Amino acid sequence: MAAARRVQPPPRIGARQEAIAGYALIAIPMALFLVLNIGSFLFAGYISVFDWHIRRGPEEFLGIANFQRALGDPQFQTAIRNSVYYTVIWVPLTMAVGLFLAVVVNQKIRGQTFFRAAFYFPAIASSAAITTVWIFLMAPDGLFNEVRTAAGLNPLFQALGYGPNHNWIGDHRTAMNTVIALNVWTTSGTFMLFYLASLQSISKEVYEAAAIDGADQWQAFWRITFPLLRPGHFFVATVGLIGGLQLFDQAVFAGGPNGDPANALMTVVLYLYNAMFIQIDPGYAAAIGIVLFVLIMSGTLIQRRLFGESPAW
Amino acid sequence: MRRTLLALWVTASLVIAACAGGDGATTAPESEPAGSPGTSPAASPGETAGGGGGFDPASITGTATLGQWESSPSERDALTSALEEFAAAYPNVTVEQETVAGDYRAQMITRFGAGNPPDLFYVNAEYAKDWIDEGFLLPLDDYIAQQGFDTSAYFEDYLNIFKGDDGKIYGLPKDGNTIAMAYNTDLVQTPPATIDELVSLAESLKGQGNLKAPLCLNPGLDRGLAFLYAQGGSLLSEDNSASQITTPESTAAIQWYMDLFKNGLGMTAADMGDGWCGEALGKGDAAIVFEGGWLVGFMKDSFPDTPYALAEMPVGSSGEKVTISYTAAYGIGVDSANPDPAWVVAQYLAGPEGMAAWTGGGIAVPSRSDVPVPEGFDAIVAGAEYSRPGSGFIRGYNDVQKAFQDAFTLEIQNQSFSADPVVAATDAAIQSALSR
Amino acid sequence: MTVGTTATPRVDTPAEVAPVGDRGRVWRRRLAYVVLIAYALLMMVPFAWTLITSFKTLPDSFRPTIIPDPFTLQAWEYAFNTLEPSIVRLLANTLGLAAAVTVSNLLLGSFAGYAFARLRFPGRELLFIVVLATLMIPDQLRLVPIYVLFSQAGLTQGVLQYVAVWLLLAISATSIFLLRQYFLTIPRDLEEAARIDGAGFFTTFWRVMLPLASPALAAVAVLQFQGTWNAFFWPVVFLRDDNATLPLSLYLFRQSGGFGTNWPPLMAVVVLATVPILVLYVFFQRYFVEGVAASGVKG
Repeated sequence: MAAARRVQPPPRIGARQEAIAGYALIAIPMALFLVLNIGSFLFAGYISVFDWHIRRGPEEFLGIANFQRALGDPQFQTAIRNSVYYTVIWVPLTMAVGLFLAVVVNQKIRGQTFFRAAFYFPAIASSAAITTVWIFLMAPDGLFNEVRTAAGLNPLFQALGYGPNHNWIGDHRTAMNTVIALNVWTTSGTFMLFYLASLQSISKEVYEAAAIDGADQWQAFWRITFPLLRPGHFFVATVGLIGGLQLFDQAVFAGGPNGDPANALMTVVLYLYNAMFIQIDPGYAAAIGIVLFVLIMSGTLIQRRLFGESPAW
Repeated sequence: MRRTLLALWVTASLVIAACAGGDGATTAPESEPAGSPGTSPAASPGETAGGGGGFDPASITGTATLGQWESSPSERDALTSALEEFAAAYPNVTVEQETVAGDYRAQMITRFGAGNPPDLFYVNAEYAKDWIDEGFLLPLDDYIAQQGFDTSAYFEDYLNIFKGDDGKIYGLPKDGNTIAMAYNTDLVQTPPATIDELVSLAESLKGQGNLKAPLCLNPGLDRGLAFLYAQGGSLLSEDNSASQITTPESTAAIQWYMDLFKNGLGMTAADMGDGWCGEALGKGDAAIVFEGGWLVGFMKDSFPDTPYALAEMPVGSSGEKVTISYTAAYGIGVDSANPDPAWVVAQYLAGPEGMAAWTGGGIAVPSRSDVPVPEGFDAIVAGAEYSRPGSGFIRGYNDVQKAFQDAFTLEIQNQSFSADPVVAATDAAIQSALSR
Repeated sequence: MTVGTTATPRVDTPAEVAPVGDRGRVWRRRLAYVVLIAYALLMMVPFAWTLITSFKTLPDSFRPTIIPDPFTLQAWEYAFNTLEPSIVRLLANTLGLAAAVTVSNLLLGSFAGYAFARLRFPGRELLFIVVLATLMIPDQLRLVPIYVLFSQAGLTQGVLQYVAVWLLLAISATSIFLLRQYFLTIPRDLEEAARIDGAGFFTTFWRVMLPLASPALAAVAVLQFQGTWNAFFWPVVFLRDDNATLPLSLYLFRQSGGFGTNWPPLMAVVVLATVPILVLYVFFQRYFVEGVAASGVKG
């Protein structure tokens, strides 16, 4: 075991007391973690191999039948497709906007604090509040459609196939993209903060050296800043991936537990919720939870490959 | 260190096993107080008393919680007045109302899972079979037999939905509704009697006033089924054991319904920016909608200035009058803490006097033939004569409905307007629901 | 939404921007400010619109006009008098839960953070990895087992529903991680001095270390308060009827038919659900920023 490596200073008096104090201080949090996190993780695996009823408990051992059912369930396939689509589009977009904002705010500009505060602002409200507002703004006769009509942009939208009163969230072609736009808007401020932390760890000397070489700002950004931000990219992408595959709040607000319109907003987590509380099938829902975990883990591992070794964070 | 960890693991798993061990879920929870003090069972508990003992509701003392949804202030008033009459008739039983906010179905499921449902609660026909199957509901046959409660007055279609595969009755229909046609009387003078008239009327209404479309239509079976029947199609066989959505008549009927969207005669409420078609009628976004008795209370509360009237559903190519009916029942949970007082409330509210008080509030129509029909509901009551059930035929009906609606929505939004994918998806969902 | 850069992983893309003189520089700067201010305003538009709408009538709420016509308090009256559960109850529920979660995170987080940073005991590294590993288990995976467990334990009834949600949020690995990292940066000398004076582990922790860690504690407090105030997933599973929090109530209102599109009162509830956090943000912006940057886990 790793901790057996003793590179610690020579044992002092009271080492035993110190250990007891240590255990005492971590006891409650560890107990909660072991039961509510690790324990429930294992319990989820247990439930997933049963035909489990919400009132009567386990009735029949099913083995991997719930997992087989999930793989052949067209709705679940749609849910996975939607969650992956959301993540693949949302993460890079939010990273790009977040990085842009971070670089801007990191400049020597007036009102730096104000801009940083303003850009982070959308991230402080609850997903519930912000999604309610968004649904209102994007309604057929909502502000967005009114403004684009007033701005004379309708011919452009018409060419794309969207009428003047297009129902952005109610139409399956645009529902998910509308949610993506919402979440890029709310989360780019958070990503900006992550990038800011990462930017501040780059030493000024690197830039000075580049300035001597005659690189302009644009070149300096692509040649120095961007590659040096690799740990930041990895971190932000990982956080984004984990969050993206867990999309739920916005989807259930906009489309209800059935993922309306036409499954366009059916995500993996929403389907899990649906399996539990609409289909009343806890065993199946638990199996979906395990699949979600596998999905997140493999996504993270793929990213680790993409970004090289993980940084120490 | 390993040992410490191991000990923690073991403790944790013991805790879990103790909390969630298989048998814990099968036995009824040990006398949950469930917030209702002072239960003194004056009569023998319903489950245990064998036949012949007799059950006199007047002898029961106690409190029953009533879990219910509430869709409008009118509905609240109607229930209040019904409960006032109950209090006068049965002074020994107190009713505590628990209005379940939001998603009634999901919320109730969490309560069944926790073993503390209200003593008495609404059961929508849509998922009654699911709840019976999951063992949430108490069979009421013993109570019915011991009290000699007469169930023959209920319209058969309504009562049948709440019967399990075992033939037992798991709920008393609290009221009923049939889908009728509501039209804006400023725009429509004579309601169409046939579907052909409906179409030509809609054609002539196109573009009039502020109408977003002449008809507000749901893209699902919840209304579409009425038209499916009217046009000679069907969803399931008579005994609900086989799919009939693939017959040429059914396919043609779905295609006809979809063409209403295609030709700009119909539009969904969502596309009009409304929550549901009642709102579309109220706001003047649509001239004709297809709704049940709940529309009456809603229009009175929210759009008192919009003139409208109700008419029977137009007759389709089947040549016969047909519509679909919706109902809900009073049910008692297997885990309900006070089943006896709950039954007392149920037999009154679903009995002749209680139902008269409830439906007198003007938001629903009686589910029994011996209760007078309130005013303004003629079209809806007329429909009860020839209606067919609108939902909840089989376990997992939600999946069938969802499959139909998802496919239908895709077709109209993609503007491909073909019935075939809808038929295929619905058929697949029916097969999988039947095989489970 | 403006996307400033395209994130191509290629590094050696030749720059395609012409060199700029001083005059260009000034103009570019001005342009940059215009863009920045415009973008900052864009961030605020939906909130401003929400506030404006809450003073409108329903028909007026669909008109893109800034000044409500007529200006009305109807929606606010509706929000305060007609909603079920009442706004006051919702505010109290949300505040109580957020406060409880914040306090437990501060206490338990600083205990564990200190132990992991400073005290030596067998298994420390491994246990810390266990703590971090909990971040990898998605909440949703826990939905079914936690629900079954808590149902059996009776935690889904009455006020115990709050206990259920609180237990799930009582201590987050993020809080422990954040505080541990901060404790690691505090020089050992201060602690040693206290020890030499004869103080025990707990006294040292309580009297010396905890006050020193106040910036990190503030960050944890702000993060947890905001996260719980805004929480949706566990409340939607466990909190029912009168126990709802503000974000949950928005969902319930939306699900319950007719009210779902009665926008002005809904917007009033949104304002009430957002303003407390907004105030917190204005006053403790620094800690929001530091907390988020340091933890890397939102909420």
